Amino acid sequence: MRLPALVRTTPFRLTLLFMALFATAAAALLAYIYLATAGEVTRRADQDVGREISSLQAIYARAGVTGLNQGLVERTSDERRFLYLLMSPEAKPITGNIAMTPVDPPGSEAKAIFRISATDPDGGVTHHRAYGRQVRLGGGELLFVGADIAEGDGYVVRTVRALWGAGVLIILLGMAGGFMVSRNVSRSLAGLKAVVASVEAGDLKARAPVRGVNDEYDDLARGLNAMLDRVERLMGGLRHAGDAIAHDLRSPLTRLRSRLEAALIEVEGGRADATESLSQALADTDGVLTTFNAVLAISRLQAAGQIPNPQTFDPSELCAGLAELYGALCEDRDLEFSAELSKGLRVRGDRDFVGQAMANLLDNAVKYTPPGGAVMLRVRKRSSGDVEFSVTDTGPGVPDEDRERIVERFVRLENSRSLPGSGLGLSLVRAVAEAHGGRLDIDEGPGVVKAGFGPGLRTALILPAV
Amino acid sequence: MRQGRSRVWAWGVSMHILIMEDDVAAAEAMMKGLRDSGYEVSHAADGEAGLALARQGGFDVLVVDRMMPKQDGLTVVSTLRREDDRTPVLFLSALGEIDDRVTGLKAGGDDYLVKPYAFAELIARVEALSRRRETGGVSTTLKLGELEMDLIARTVHRAGKEIDLQPREFQLLEFLIRHAGQSVTRTMLLEKVWEYHFDPQTNVIDVHISRLRGKIDKGFDHPMLQTVRGAGYRLDA
Repeated sequence: MRLPALVRTTPFRLTLLFMALFATAAAALLAYIYLATAGEVTRRADQDVGREISSLQAIYARAGVTGLNQGLVERTSDERRFLYLLMSPEAKPITGNIAMTPVDPPGSEAKAIFRISATDPDGGVTHHRAYGRQVRLGGGELLFVGADIAEGDGYVVRTVRALWGAGVLIILLGMAGGFMVSRNVSRSLAGLKAVVASVEAGDLKARAPVRGVNDEYDDLARGLNAMLDRVERLMGGLRHAGDAIAHDLRSPLTRLRSRLEAALIEVEGGRADATESLSQALADTDGVLTTFNAVLAISRLQAAGQIPNPQTFDPSELCAGLAELYGALCEDRDLEFSAELSKGLRVRGDRDFVGQAMANLLDNAVKYTPPGGAVMLRVRKRSSGDVEFSVTDTGPGVPDEDRERIVERFVRLENSRSLPGSGLGLSLVRAVAEAHGGRLDIDEGPGVVKAGFGPGLRTALILPAV
Repeated sequence: MRQGRSRVWAWGVSMHILIMEDDVAAAEAMMKGLRDSGYEVSHAADGEAGLALARQGGFDVLVVDRMMPKQDGLTVVSTLRREDDRTPVLFLSALGEIDDRVTGLKAGGDDYLVKPYAFAELIARVEALSRRRETGGVSTTLKLGELEMDLIARTVHRAGKEIDLQPREFQLLEFLIRHAGQSVTRTMLLEKVWEYHFDPQTNVIDVHISRLRGKIDKGFDHPMLQTVRGAGYRLDA
């Protein structure tokens, strides 16, 4: 069976649960009040009856059975406040306003709750509850005194009735409240549900309405919107990455294909050696793979916009290894190498990516600086607290107007075309910098240091302070 | 290629490699190459079959593709590790996420190779892993032919003559001597000796190798440190 939508909402169910709890508590309270009040009625009747018996016993002590008999006759004739019955020691009625004792067995001393019938002034017969006690007097006679407790019972009944009424009223109000709360919650959630449905249907542009009352639904809507913003950005980034990879790989693959085709024709015509052509093709494929890896890494970093699992590391330790690696290379190429690494700095990010970026900067410096020049690796803390990794060379440098361009993918300046390289090195450095929340700076080097050297280039990867 | 020569344990059983790879063409090329290098090779085309085969035991190295049908490589390897199977694992991965290598090693892999890879790189890494088990016990000296390394005193002698090495050259030689007779690639050296997991464009390793060569081979009758064309380097007695 399908329940109406409203009944299925959580607030409505919660309301029902609370109503059930309340009803149980109210029933328990009712029971307690009933028991307490009913007990009180009997207790009071017992006190009254006790006092009456004492006063009658006093008469008996003073005037004997005859006196008591007379007293009882007087009392029963006035006002029907108590029920009396004086009996012989064998429990035979002597005087009283009831026909027989309700105590069982009739000859015992006991208390009893019993029913009496009364005739109203208008002739109707009603039944009341009554309470009585029976005692044996000094001469063996039995005296029963009872009291009508209808008045007390009436109070209990009225109390119980009032409590029931209040309970029903509260339950009705609670239901109405629950109904309203559920409707309110359902309305507040309707906007969110609609957004989820649209997104599920593929519309990433859908956003939840924020009503501006700053309640938790608004918070939820804002959170959902922020999440959707990020998802949309990431999706855009990925789509862009895919396009970029396709675009960037088309030309090297085209080149590889035409080289293979040319090699095939040469080999078929017996003009070239197959092994050599295959080795060349293999080398070209490796080139394509290198390009592919670089493009992919750049795209991933750009799409993610951050480093997935950042770790804190010491930049001087990372660069000491690089200094050693590249120091030997520089020496081999007749370049003067120096490293200035400030100790005790801390950087948060991906050690491998930062290492790759620095290797790219060092590769460039070594590649473009003619023998006899110098390369310097430096790690220091800037006055802003940021950590700066810089590589300075005394090569020909890059004219001011081209500095922005060389960071673009595949941009290689005229004089560098003959040197190996994919044209992606600096793009990767910038992607690494940006993924770390830092930047890549490109400036002039030390200037013209001697004839044929300079003005040089200074490239710096700047990462924010931890 | 060292065709026909069989890679064997001391008691004459050839080394057995299990390849878990769903790309059949890639697996076949790999199997052919490994067999040519003298290995015995088995193949499983998905994670479940691979796990079942690996559980039978008897393999010296497992080459596991990260992405496979039925069960991925990470799950297979972590299951094996939980069952206390310590067989060395080389993970293969199509260019994956930025931190793939770390997750692979955490799951219990011993080495990680990103596809596409040079075949020489694969052979060199499988070779390094299959040998790893043989070197039992911790010894403080390493010997190869005339070459002797004292790991405590940090000294190196060749034919009794002391050779002075820089700390990094010492580490480099130690790695080469531990993998004597095997080709080691430049990437392996960069990863295992320098602990760098990235590729410099220039061959920075070559410079260091030629310096080491200058120290251990110069002035002796035969060169021990060989260049293996298309692969890397090899240290022979």
